[in-house]
Amino acid sequence: MINALISLNADLASSIAFRYSCRLMKFVDMRLQAMHVEEVAKDEFPPGSGWVRSTWEKGLLQAAQEEIAQLINAEKPHCAPMDNTIIRIGNREDELLRELEENRYDLLLEGALNAFDAQHFHKKIHSKLYKYMPCPILLIKNLVDPSQAALIVGDIEDVHPLVATFTRLFEKTQIKLDLVFFSDKPAGQAEIRTRLSEAPHPLQQRAAQVLDAARGALAGHGWTPQDSWVVQNKPQKIGEMLGDYGLVGAYLPSAASRKHFAMDLLSRIPTATLLCKP
Amino acid sequence: MKILVAVDQYDYSRHAVDEVAKLAANTWANITLFGVQPKRAVGTRRAAELKIVQATDGPLPEALFTLHREFLSYFDGRECPYAPANAHEKLTEVHKGVFELAEGSGAARKKLTIRMRIGNPANEILSEAKEEESDLIVLGCDHTNASGWENAASVPRKIAGSALCSVLVVKKKRDVQRIVCCLDHDRISQPSLEMINQMVTLHKAPLTIVGLTDHQALKTEVEKKMDKILRYYHARQIDPWIELVEISALESFIARETRWGLLALWMGKQSILTKALPRSKVNQLIKGGDASVLILR
Repeated sequence: MINALISLNADLASSIAFRYSCRLMKFVDMRLQAMHVEEVAKDEFPPGSGWVRSTWEKGLLQAAQEEIAQLINAEKPHCAPMDNTIIRIGNREDELLRELEENRYDLLLEGALNAFDAQHFHKKIHSKLYKYMPCPILLIKNLVDPSQAALIVGDIEDVHPLVATFTRLFEKTQIKLDLVFFSDKPAGQAEIRTRLSEAPHPLQQRAAQVLDAARGALAGHGWTPQDSWVVQNKPQKIGEMLGDYGLVGAYLPSAASRKHFAMDLLSRIPTATLLCKP
Repeated sequence: MKILVAVDQYDYSRHAVDEVAKLAANTWANITLFGVQPKRAVGTRRAAELKIVQATDGPLPEALFTLHREFLSYFDGRECPYAPANAHEKLTEVHKGVFELAEGSGAARKKLTIRMRIGNPANEILSEAKEEESDLIVLGCDHTNASGWENAASVPRKIAGSALCSVLVVKKKRDVQRIVCCLDHDRISQPSLEMINQMVTLHKAPLTIVGLTDHQALKTEVEKKMDKILRYYHARQIDPWIELVEISALESFIARETRWGLLALWMGKQSILTKALPRSKVNQLIKGGDASVLILR
């Protein structure tokens, strides 16, 4: 069973993330713990640490609890029962990191609305939370059907960490899986979106090495991908193509040479993206 | 729902009628197939009589009859709410300068009017829509020729810019791969949501709803409205994507998104889109690219 933490705020991104999580729970065995961190600017804290402070905190926590309960209750008919929401006051990223470490969650889920400007995504990826997260993150950008997933791989180094994370989380699920090898489209070359067997040389050779390794690794965990695709295009177009999937698993590469393209691609994926770190 | 289909005798009008037939099959709307015979100088009574003869006898009336039959043929084998075509096709003057085809015999649950006026095409279309209180004007255009009309180039742009109701400019017969809607979420009306719903059903195309932001944030009330819109569509088994776009980047976003085939813009009186996309930009959008444009009002 996946022990997952979902970060919720009283906003649209969280509403989408929560509804997606409820859909996902129909396919995977997952215990979902909701958490909300009420962020308060330093100058908004009342002075002192006695009764005034504690009453102020209680009021704040209660208001936050009510807001999040409203969001969760709206989905109650479609979602498995959950434990009480954890509500804290403080810095959101610090509190989430603390909770993730203390209670050894397998997965963090959070919502982030898909944006035309990739800056928002880059900011998130470079945040303290993403830098120090002790588990993978499922970033939910839109409410999609999670029954069809894709693992995207651009290099042999992506295969093992990605497959290991994915199979550990999603064992014994009904999710259908495709493998997608992605590559940047050099200027003057054609856009390619084809099955591995139909890919042109030398791209086919390069893709086959990576996809065969991924298939082999997945087979070791009892997974057989439905299809293996090769796409060569600009990040925007690959991202759009991946919009056909309700769950996209990706590895965040450590090599600077590949990081830029991969980040750009990840920012363009409009669905839920499982981000696995080295 | 009342739909005014503004047509002339050229091929793009057939695409518009084809689109409307599909829409009508879903909505059972009251339809007016409407053509405008450009005005010619008339000075004497005899010339005026001659004008009527010309008006009811030229290529436009013939096109109206053909489009009428084509519209009805869409319902072959389906339940048709409109009266069948009359064997004797003739336009008769019902008011000064207004010609109509007599309705065919047979039971009709919805109105299908074939009407023609004489005058300036854009002005007559706008007057007809206003008088008939149309909810939507649909018109085709030649996407290879600056998206104009053959003998009155600016008609689609004038209608899109000046009509009081919603306007659908159909560019050409093509698959709509995605419908991209730029909505002003705190003001969008229920009929507009229904219209988008119809377009999604019609084209079996996925939907993207664009949230306009200022520095990466949506206003709380806009978020709440968007959440409601999402739930409205989810209840209809439609899972729209949300995409946030900075107001300052709206133009480049729209330029990128026209490739999907249908762009819907909520341009109500107080819409933020009206400010972000002035009329000249909307004209440009209609003139360039091959995406159909739905202006919602």
